[in-house]
Amino acid sequence: MSNQVLPTPDIYDASSIKVLEGLEAVRLRPAMYIGSTGEMGLHHLVYEVVDNSVDESLAGHCTEINVTIHIDNSVTVLDNGRGIPVGIHAEEGVSAAQVVLTKLHAGGKFDSNSYKVSGGLHGVGVSCVNALSDVFSLEVWREGFTWTQEYSQGIPKHPLKQAGKAGRKTGTKITFHPDPKIMDAVVFNYDTLSQRLRQLAFLNKGLKITLTDEREDPVKSHTFVYAGGISEFIKHINTGKSVLHEKPIHFEATAKGPNGGDVGMEVALQYNDAYSESIFSFANNINTVDGGTHLSGFRSALTRTINFFGQQAGLFKDVKENLTGDDVREGLTAVISVKVPQPQFEGQTKGKLNSDIQGIVTQFVNDKLGEFFEKNPTVMRKIVGKAIEAARAREAARKARDLTRRKGALDSGGLPGKLADCQERDPEKCELFLVEGESAGGTAKQGRDRRFQAILPLKGKILNVEKARYDKMLGHEEIRTLITALGTGIGKDDFALLKLRYHKIIIMTDADVDGSHIRTLLLTFFFRHMNDLITHDNVFIAQPPLYRIKKGKTEKYIKDEKEFTREIMRRATESLILEYGNATAPARVEGAELRNFLLSLDELEQISFKVERRLRDARVVEALQNPLLRLDKREDFQDKAGMEPLLEQLKASKLDAEWRFDEEHSAWRIVYHDSTNAERHIDLELAAQPEYKKLRSLAKQVGKYNTPPFVVVKGDRRDTLTNWRDLLNHLKSEGKREISVQRYKGLGEMNAEQLAETTMNPEKRTLLRVRLEDLVESDLIFTTLMGEDVESRRKFIEDNALDVKNLDV
Amino acid sequence: MSEPIITQCPICRKQVALGDRHFPFCSDRCREVDLGNWAMERYTIPGDPIDINDLDLE
Repeated sequence: MSNQVLPTPDIYDASSIKVLEGLEAVRLRPAMYIGSTGEMGLHHLVYEVVDNSVDESLAGHCTEINVTIHIDNSVTVLDNGRGIPVGIHAEEGVSAAQVVLTKLHAGGKFDSNSYKVSGGLHGVGVSCVNALSDVFSLEVWREGFTWTQEYSQGIPKHPLKQAGKAGRKTGTKITFHPDPKIMDAVVFNYDTLSQRLRQLAFLNKGLKITLTDEREDPVKSHTFVYAGGISEFIKHINTGKSVLHEKPIHFEATAKGPNGGDVGMEVALQYNDAYSESIFSFANNINTVDGGTHLSGFRSALTRTINFFGQQAGLFKDVKENLTGDDVREGLTAVISVKVPQPQFEGQTKGKLNSDIQGIVTQFVNDKLGEFFEKNPTVMRKIVGKAIEAARAREAARKARDLTRRKGALDSGGLPGKLADCQERDPEKCELFLVEGESAGGTAKQGRDRRFQAILPLKGKILNVEKARYDKMLGHEEIRTLITALGTGIGKDDFALLKLRYHKIIIMTDADVDGSHIRTLLLTFFFRHMNDLITHDNVFIAQPPLYRIKKGKTEKYIKDEKEFTREIMRRATESLILEYGNATAPARVEGAELRNFLLSLDELEQISFKVERRLRDARVVEALQNPLLRLDKREDFQDKAGMEPLLEQLKASKLDAEWRFDEEHSAWRIVYHDSTNAERHIDLELAAQPEYKKLRSLAKQVGKYNTPPFVVVKGDRRDTLTNWRDLLNHLKSEGKREISVQRYKGLGEMNAEQLAETTMNPEKRTLLRVRLEDLVESDLIFTTLMGEDVESRRKFIEDNALDVKNLDV
Repeated sequence: MSEPIITQCPICRKQVALGDRHFPFCSDRCREVDLGNWAMERYTIPGDPIDINDLDLE
């Protein structure tokens, strides 16, 4: 609805002012009429006067309003409307202007013939302002004359009088000074006024409102005028926010209202990427903070239209139900403004519109928004997409609340039935073991010290029938059980570290890939939702042994492969000497030096295996182990002569190796074919691989001793071995003589006593404390692990990090 | 700690630094969405394919 000046043909003169009530009570009980005598009430005085001018604008007779705050905190409101009627009122026998200014509830707005629509903040009219002012003066330009009247405390000092000629000028000017005997607040706030006046300018497209503050030096002034109306209001609200569509959606129309009058309706809306909604509804310029029929009409039409278009465009594939009103309003900024003749409000402050216009507003928004969506499918899709995202989030939030609110398999004390709790009640002394699987859980229950150790078995695997595999997952029930056992609660408002029931939470899983996945799931969950546990050093990882070595009655537990090899080599080298090199005058090595040599060989064996997977030929890998070859730096590959021995050696091994020039790096490469006849290269690119570099450096490291034949001398026995692999194997089996080795595939293979001894007993175990820094990594790992790309996952696990070693204390 | 710990919000991938109010999330909303994902069993780590005949049906 625009505010172009459209003169109403109806007559607005003294006869159209009706008297409803007297004014006596206002000064006695000011708060009843203007809300309060404080800041709010004080500013309402200005709004009442301005609203009269805006009403003139709504009726199409006023284009400009000037509000001035004077140095004595009096205020002038000046408009270029028709001017308040000045004729003698038939019933009252005084000027119509005096009736308006002295009688409560008097005014043109109570006669629907004069003002089509009108608001007025409290509907009490300007007479209240008069009653509450110690100085009040009126100046009217109308019917060719200037008319004036002075008041104090609502009492006229003289009748309305002609003061001069006005020519064709029309308008009203009211100046008032709030009576300090009544008002507690008497100093106007520029920002408060400017906010409301700006709002009025938005709501009344084209109406120019100027606010001037003469108390400031220099005088402060701002003019509000918006050709775009409430669209500009939307832009103003969304300033600094990132919006989903550039231009606000804006439409307006007029329809016949319930009592036959024209209802003007105007809606503007725009979505931003935030999650809250801000909808402002106005009826006749009054901010209906409690909504009402216009808002309900808008809301239902919005929900209906977005659902309709989303459905039609097939965007709801993975949305179970229709989008709710909350979904479609997430991130919405909207302004609904209606102009209703004889509006009906509910409540003293006109917070809610009651006029029966819901139907016509719904119809209006359905039609116009539908039309817009048809013409702008891209914007429609964005809006529907945003609402779908909101629906998903809402569902997630509901499910998240379920985690703690729903009662499940809890015992009488509210604890999960699966939890084997400890006797101790002081959390500081209590430990909780999170154990994967029922059987390991059973063993742990037997092996624990029930005084202070509790066990919670968790199921971490589910059968994925469709894909024929076991996936690792913490089910809803598992997570719920975990949260309940810990006692902390979950979520932004409910998590309480103080309620933690165990100060040590120990994750105990098998030392295999499955175990590490379940550990990653648990750590990720703690990291994301129980961060405080990590920062307060409450989370640990148990270290069950991988091997048990037994000799006679003594046994030893070994935590990982590396330590195992070390142990075996230690035993093997206890009482032997190795001769190597020239058979007639061999060199000798023994003790720690020998052990280091053997450990390097073991490493070399493993890395050879990896390199072989790349090069697909054991003979090539063998040849590359020659420490004398120069095959490492860029220059090495540019020197054909330096590489010649390798080529010769490969040829000698009956490989079809040959030269080729590597244009790209201007270097040489040796090319051969593997058993599948695929072409393989030995070149700079290979030399850049970490496996290759490691192989070369190990080869150089062992070079000093790696000169067959090897003779292992143990007492009188002499065993001769022709290459390093045989040597390594020979000594490995030597190291394993007289001992029995058990490799644990899972916790379940240990009996309760062994588990307690190696992993649970605080006297003997080692625990890894989980640090936040490690978990940041771990969270990224988790994301990778969840992917469906099996190959990249495998590589990731091999190359990285799931290793407990990375979580070292 | 010398270097600030920076990570990405698990839900929307915005950068988050340790010490931010919602760490490791960017907002309460993302936290809630993530918790909902756990509750709805949306987080699984795929296992290796198995021979269907080897299934031990517990």
